[in-house]
Amino acid sequence: MDTNQYMGMFLEESREHLQTLNSCVLDLENDPDNLSVLSEIFRSAHTIKGMSATMGFTTIAELTHEMENILDLLRKGQLKASHDIIDTIFKCVDTLEQLVESVATNSESSVDSKPLITKLKALAKGEPVPTSVTNAEVKSVVEASSLVLSDTEIAIIQKARAQGMQAYEIQVSLREGCLLKSARSYMVMNALDEIGDVIKSVPAVEELEKENFTLSFQVVIVTGSEADKIQQTVLSISEIDKADVLPCVLPDEIHKQESTLKITEQPSKIQSEVEKTAVTTVSQPVVEKKNKSGQSVRVDIDKLDTLLNLVGELVINKTRLEQIGLTHKLTDLVETIEQMDRVTTDLQAVVMKVRMVPVGQVFNRFPRMVRDLSRDLNKEINLIIQGEETELDRTVIDEIGDPLVHLLRNSIDHGIEQPHEREEKGKNPIGEIRLIARHEGNNVIIMVEDDGKGINADVIKRKAVEKGLISQGEADAMDANEAVRLVFLPGFSTAAVVTDVSGRGVGMDAVKNKIESLGGMVDVETKVNEGSKFKIRLPLTLAIIQALLVKVSEEIYAIPLGSIDSTINIMPSEIKTVQNKEVILLRGQIIPIVRLANVLNIPETEQQEQQQEELFVVIVHIGEQRAGIIVDNLIGQQEIVIKSLGKLLAGIKIIAGATILGNGQVALILDIGSLIQ
Amino acid sequence: MSEQIYSNSEVQLVVFKLGREEYSVSILQVQEIKRITDITRVPHTPDYIKGVINLRGSVLPVIDLKKRLNLPQQVITEDTRIIIVKVDELSVGMIVDAVSEVMTINQENIDSPDVVAGSVAASYLSGVGKLENRLLILLNLEEIIGIGQETKAI
Repeated sequence: MDTNQYMGMFLEESREHLQTLNSCVLDLENDPDNLSVLSEIFRSAHTIKGMSATMGFTTIAELTHEMENILDLLRKGQLKASHDIIDTIFKCVDTLEQLVESVATNSESSVDSKPLITKLKALAKGEPVPTSVTNAEVKSVVEASSLVLSDTEIAIIQKARAQGMQAYEIQVSLREGCLLKSARSYMVMNALDEIGDVIKSVPAVEELEKENFTLSFQVVIVTGSEADKIQQTVLSISEIDKADVLPCVLPDEIHKQESTLKITEQPSKIQSEVEKTAVTTVSQPVVEKKNKSGQSVRVDIDKLDTLLNLVGELVINKTRLEQIGLTHKLTDLVETIEQMDRVTTDLQAVVMKVRMVPVGQVFNRFPRMVRDLSRDLNKEINLIIQGEETELDRTVIDEIGDPLVHLLRNSIDHGIEQPHEREEKGKNPIGEIRLIARHEGNNVIIMVEDDGKGINADVIKRKAVEKGLISQGEADAMDANEAVRLVFLPGFSTAAVVTDVSGRGVGMDAVKNKIESLGGMVDVETKVNEGSKFKIRLPLTLAIIQALLVKVSEEIYAIPLGSIDSTINIMPSEIKTVQNKEVILLRGQIIPIVRLANVLNIPETEQQEQQQEELFVVIVHIGEQRAGIIVDNLIGQQEIVIKSLGKLLAGIKIIAGATILGNGQVALILDIGSLIQ
Repeated sequence: MSEQIYSNSEVQLVVFKLGREEYSVSILQVQEIKRITDITRVPHTPDYIKGVINLRGSVLPVIDLKKRLNLPQQVITEDTRIIIVKVDELSVGMIVDAVSEVMTINQENIDSPDVVAGSVAASYLSGVGKLENRLLILLNLEEIIGIGQETKAI
């Protein structure tokens, strides 16, 4: 069978399923008992297996086949989603990604999937790959769940659960050499009684009072409080060494698992352990997302681009017809075109909407990244994603990933402290990073927030002075906010700074440049020991922008409205010079002047040589930097469709692209950033 | 099979004039031929790049072929045309004085460009075609457009 024609589809679908796998396995890690997530994983793996087998990619098929075996065991409850299994599945997904990409690039893959397959087989047989951590944990778990509950107690727990409460087993350990053990146990019981109902203890209360126990005892409590709260309550009593709080597992549940499972890692324990190390993602429920895709069609992005081009062309031709109608005073034509105008405007809006893509497409690779990175750094991080349904034009989506990776890495690496440091500061040992997207007018705001150590303005100032980026005087004059923005300076992005100080600044200038090249802005707010917040503001689309058309000599240029402050008229005499550089004074601010005709080498025409009375100045800004651009005339504000100048003319700094005007003429779009530097 | 032999030994060329000389490019590289339109100058580009034009919604660069080949300039006339060629997925317009015809020429009648080395930058040429009493200069578009540094096709 000639499978080449299906290649594109295969790649696209595989990538999509791999993405699903990635996010679903993350979900599974947080909630190992979630059957619907498991089924989702199983389905994706199964589809990949089927597709790759049909396409003749046996390596992929073999690996997914073994994966399926494990997943099937998980689904049937014959295996539990332990750390080891989750890790292995993640490795499988990574390997599959590499294999799929090597198919895409038509290259021989250097990935060897054999060790993974062997491991999967071993796991399927229930041979745990021992790591010291899990073994130790397993023991304490078995001990913890050695409680035997009577039928009445089970009934109480079930009733409590029905009322939305939870049953917990608490393993309380007293400090060695604890005096008056009975008094401590009594205080524990008292404290627990306040937040819930103690329904059992081992040994029984009478035994506890007689001090008939070693250093630890167990309590079963039914309560509406969280496990954390219980733990804190118990630990607040002095001479308590440890209090492990585990959700209570009823005997029939235990029985189910034990009968099929020889590796007795208790699900309850795994869950609490996973909670500690894993990244939790708060996002839309999986089911909801999936339902949407049923009604959509997959379209090649090139076709959408062509569609946009054609619509742009239609709009241009419509404008030309309008002009013809007006010049020749053809009322019938003008009326018809008015009708057409409405249709084309709607059409353009629809095409733009079709190109809108939810930011979730970019965001969904981050949970995995945060998980991996935080594990590497031994940090505990909770990633919260909000507003992933916020839509942006795909031109922006394509570009926004890298800056976000930078910011997230920074937050994980330099923002969030090690768990013990956080505890010392009285914070939750689990750090929190929020990735939030939302609309704000014609912009989209994306924020990366962490509750880490923040950026110390003084340290930043000192470093900037040391590096010669600013003078001591400048540093002294700066307030904290300005100082923190120094991280965006190019010189700051060196490794030395990062290791020395609180860090921040790995490629921050790159982030800033990227965002600005997209017509956006990035800002930072921070408070020492409370965290930092990076805020990115982006235009909805890069394909169509509002621009001011200006005329210089016979040529027309477009200036993106986003970088324009205002336009003013000045008399030539108002131009002063500072060290031979032309400036004007605007509301007390000195603004350098750029004569567009000079910068663009525009040939002078006779008309222009007669000195103009008044000069038109467009005040533009990039970030904090301002400049006045002198033009001959202002034509007006207009929505323009941005076109690339193509590969041949790609390197011209001052020109950001081109657009086609109503009369079919090409006008160039100025790149304000490079113009005023 | 006969078709194979035919296409191997013969090439179809679009012939055009630059000053008094006749030049040509393979018809396979020609997308279309267009009357001269508004050309927007692009600052900070080499002088042989005349500017950009709007070709049905896309913006294409246009090369002043005579400037590129160091030929004497001539004014734009009724006959002036822009030939849109496509090389390696890159579409570029070239201004020529006039497009005269499309002809088929046998590969045997094409000499290597070395015979005229020194006259114009020889790297811009891929050969010289001999007809009874005419000479056709075959252009090497990769070099002319400036993307042929690494690959020298044909």
